[in-house]
Amino acid sequence: MIARTLRNTAKTLLLACFVLSCGNAMAVPDGNDPVSLVVNGMTGLFKEVDDNLAKYESDPAALQALVMKDLVPMLDTNYSARLILGRAGRDIPPEKVQAFSDAMVNMLVSRYSYGLLQLHSTELVKVLPQKGPLNDKLTRVRSRVVLPDGGEAPIDYAFHMTADGWKAFDLIVEGISYVTTFRNQIVPEVQANGIDSVIERLTTGELQLAE
Amino acid sequence: MRKTSKFITVLIYALLLAACAGTQSRHTDPVNDPWEGFNRKAFAFNDTMDRKVLRPVAVGYDKAMPEPLQRGVGNFFRNLDAPVTFINLLLQGEFEKSADTFGRFLLNSTIGLLGFFDLATKAGVPYHDEDLGQTLAAWGYKDSRYLVLPVFGPSTPRDGVGRYADSFINPVGLQIHIQEHWGYWLVRGIDFRAQFLSRDGELGDAYDPYVLMRDVWMQNRAFQIYDGDPPAADYDLFLEDAFLNHRYLEVDKKPDPEQ
Repeated sequence: MIARTLRNTAKTLLLACFVLSCGNAMAVPDGNDPVSLVVNGMTGLFKEVDDNLAKYESDPAALQALVMKDLVPMLDTNYSARLILGRAGRDIPPEKVQAFSDAMVNMLVSRYSYGLLQLHSTELVKVLPQKGPLNDKLTRVRSRVVLPDGGEAPIDYAFHMTADGWKAFDLIVEGISYVTTFRNQIVPEVQANGIDSVIERLTTGELQLAE
Repeated sequence: MRKTSKFITVLIYALLLAACAGTQSRHTDPVNDPWEGFNRKAFAFNDTMDRKVLRPVAVGYDKAMPEPLQRGVGNFFRNLDAPVTFINLLLQGEFEKSADTFGRFLLNSTIGLLGFFDLATKAGVPYHDEDLGQTLAAWGYKDSRYLVLPVFGPSTPRDGVGRYADSFINPVGLQIHIQEHWGYWLVRGIDFRAQFLSRDGELGDAYDPYVLMRDVWMQNRAFQIYDGDPPAADYDLFLEDAFLNHRYLEVDKKPDPEQ
């Protein structure tokens, strides 16, 4: 009971943080700038998970569907896939690149959903205000997850402008870029075993994004 | 007295290295790892040692120690690094941050019972993490090639020298150098290892664990050096090309301060 109250208090604080962050991100008023996208995406997701915690704890598939609906539209996954595959992707037909990208997203979503349930009530997410002007090619949104011991885990999102607006294409945790790190694992593997084997390993969960 | 002169020798060596390195930049290299051959051997050696000795000990430690106690031990070791951070912040001209660090050390060492309780974080005093390797980087020695040290693990020549010199500033470390009690570093190593047990699966599943460890360590180190704001990856280069790093280095050889 007390735990529940604490949890709700923490979530209220969390929402307050988001609102404050929103206030700081007034530079672009339309709400479609990178900082607002991160703040809004997270707020909705956290609230939904909090309101239906029991449901999502017992039904991982529902949680994954929710993450897919709330977060994935914010991502330019095909671009990430092309960055990761680089030259190795040149000889691969576009539908295979898409299949690779889908397999990667599924794996990310399942990991992210798992992580979401591990977030305890004492943990808070802060999205920092935009630093410097927006750059169409690369704009970084910085956020901090506050850990139970008071430390902070920095998580940055790399955004770029697309025909459909701002989309994130890289996630950088404590300076470690998913795209950079994954790419150095994937390229040699594609060259050695071919893209089909890599897609297969991603789909079965055997191959995971390390961070 | 002998130890002091040794420290000064190391410091001078470090300064010389920094001076040499300041003359050029190697930013175009995706990963600075020309010693990959040696590094892979050292990595394999460390990996074997880890699997046979360190990991089993760390697993036992992790099981035996309740979570709050483990956190206390972690806090204790981190607190002992505060003098190292303090001095390096001064060397970098970061006076406000060095004051934070001094305050943290004072509070945690006394009311925090020798550092077991991190009261300073609870009181909102920011935590900073600096060492001589980062100071040398701040002074211009930004790029140092990847070097896997046997036993100690991922490093660079810059950070290896820095780490050795720093061990004299750590109050317990200094006593160890004088009295040659190595148990402290042993316990510290076990505690450090135990924190990464949950990550073992990721490394084991990797296509190339050596490259994964290198990439994670080098990126995280750059993140520390740039105080959380390192230059972004060269994504355009990623799109154009996906050379494996060693091939890339071969076509783009440059004079190197560490050769």
